[in-house]
Amino acid sequence: MKKKRSFIFRLIALALIAALAAWMFLIGRGHTVYFDNKSLTAPDGTAYEPWYQIEILKDGQRVARLKAEDRGMVEVMGQKLTVEVKLAKSKDGKMQGGTIGLELPYNKDGVIYNLPAMLAGAQEEVYMSEFIPTPVEEETEEVVVTDEFVLPSEE
Amino acid sequence: MNTNAKKREKAGAFLRQSSVPIMFVIICAVCIPISGLSPSYLINEIVTRMGRNVFLILSLLIPIMAGMGLNFGMTLGAMAGEIALILVSDWQIVGIPGMVLAMIFSVPFSILLGWFCGKILNMARGREMITSYIISYFINGVYQLVVLYLMGSVIPIRHGSIKLPRGYGIRNTVSLLNMRQKLDNLIPLTIAGVKIPVMTFIVIGVLCLVIIWFRRTKLGQDMRAVGQDMQVARDAGINVERTRIISIIISTVLAGIGMVIYLQNMGNIATYSSHSQIGMFCIAALLVGGASVDKASIGNVFLGVILFHTMFIVAPKAGAAITGDSMIGEYFRVFVSYAVITVALVMYETQKRKRKSLEGQKLAQAQKGEQNKGQKEENEA
Repeated sequence: MKKKRSFIFRLIALALIAALAAWMFLIGRGHTVYFDNKSLTAPDGTAYEPWYQIEILKDGQRVARLKAEDRGMVEVMGQKLTVEVKLAKSKDGKMQGGTIGLELPYNKDGVIYNLPAMLAGAQEEVYMSEFIPTPVEEETEEVVVTDEFVLPSEE
Repeated sequence: MNTNAKKREKAGAFLRQSSVPIMFVIICAVCIPISGLSPSYLINEIVTRMGRNVFLILSLLIPIMAGMGLNFGMTLGAMAGEIALILVSDWQIVGIPGMVLAMIFSVPFSILLGWFCGKILNMARGREMITSYIISYFINGVYQLVVLYLMGSVIPIRHGSIKLPRGYGIRNTVSLLNMRQKLDNLIPLTIAGVKIPVMTFIVIGVLCLVIIWFRRTKLGQDMRAVGQDMQVARDAGINVERTRIISIIISTVLAGIGMVIYLQNMGNIATYSSHSQIGMFCIAALLVGGASVDKASIGNVFLGVILFHTMFIVAPKAGAAITGDSMIGEYFRVFVSYAVITVALVMYETQKRKRKSLEGQKLAQAQKGEQNKGQKEENEA
């Protein structure tokens, strides 16, 4: 009886740890979100022109100020991102503002949002794309140091 | 007169037991003014290093309690923590959730390695320290095989920033920038310019309480009994081998979690060297705090970290000020780390032999007394 009870307790503890790990997987997924203020032509031929200036604020702090053809980025933890966007059509134009809530795809490390297309009400597949880093030049092979007598870089 | 002699004896025993901490207090007291470091910088550094190292050093206490000496095999737990962190970094789990996930993932690896280490240590009873030291080298080879060849080829690693350019194996350094000091800064607190890693200290405090509680549990009592006398413990019905394996498993698991805390503070993993010296420095710090091979307390851990790391911080500067070469200070602190372990082991062995010879003498005396008594009885008859 005692053995059975302790087995059940162990099983519950294991299930709780597994659930905690799964929860960490969900809430801890990091993404790099890129915001483009660039011109874009959709597959159907619709052209979206950049704004004069776009400011992006996250938690009240400015994370990017984009002029035409600029790109800004923000590091995000989790699958939801809410940003405040301030826009100006021209240099003397009045700043408009609004809040955007974004659902980030779990399987993508980097996501690019084209703000002009997004704000103009384009389809998601038009304004959102995956960021795939391209190596600028061929990397030279790194020499691996496996010498255990090296001091740890504590300082 | 008698009380004076007793007091003198007590003071002598205290001095003998605390000779290492006293020596380090003197070294620090001499080196601090020479180094020219400001008190606020020094305190800041010590507080940071306490947060970084205490958890790891606490992992050494349980095997000492079980009479297995200083667990050089804690390196195994450190490797488990590193493997978990590499995987979590590749999965792009960041911040505190990344840390928690790495801790959870390190546990199965640590249990497996700890069980393996405990099994071997049971076969090498009485030679646990040297055996665990050599096991750590053996497992380091396995770790290198996994990290250098299997990761990227068999174990999927997606990110080029982690993987070597050849397509498999892990780079010399893995960045933990998105995890860096997240635990330390979770509850921000600065007192008189000194940054206090409150959350890390809370975690350490909880572990201290768990260790105190654990000592009072049935398993904790069993471990103490095994540590005092294995034969007596076995006669009392304690499964000695199992108890010893559990103590090593607990130590390895705690070392794995401690390594995650250590590396989140550092902000990067030196893939092939982070773990290799960690055991040595943790053991040295514990011994500097006044612990011995068969006795260590939580107080020893804290005192050891403060003294050992004060020496670590001031030695290069003091060396540079005295000799004009900071490398002298570097050599000095490495020399001291190894020397303190050597001295502790020699002292332990000497005391053990002394105790055995005393017991032998007592036994011989008792036998002689019995012989004399027998002869007397024969003569009388």
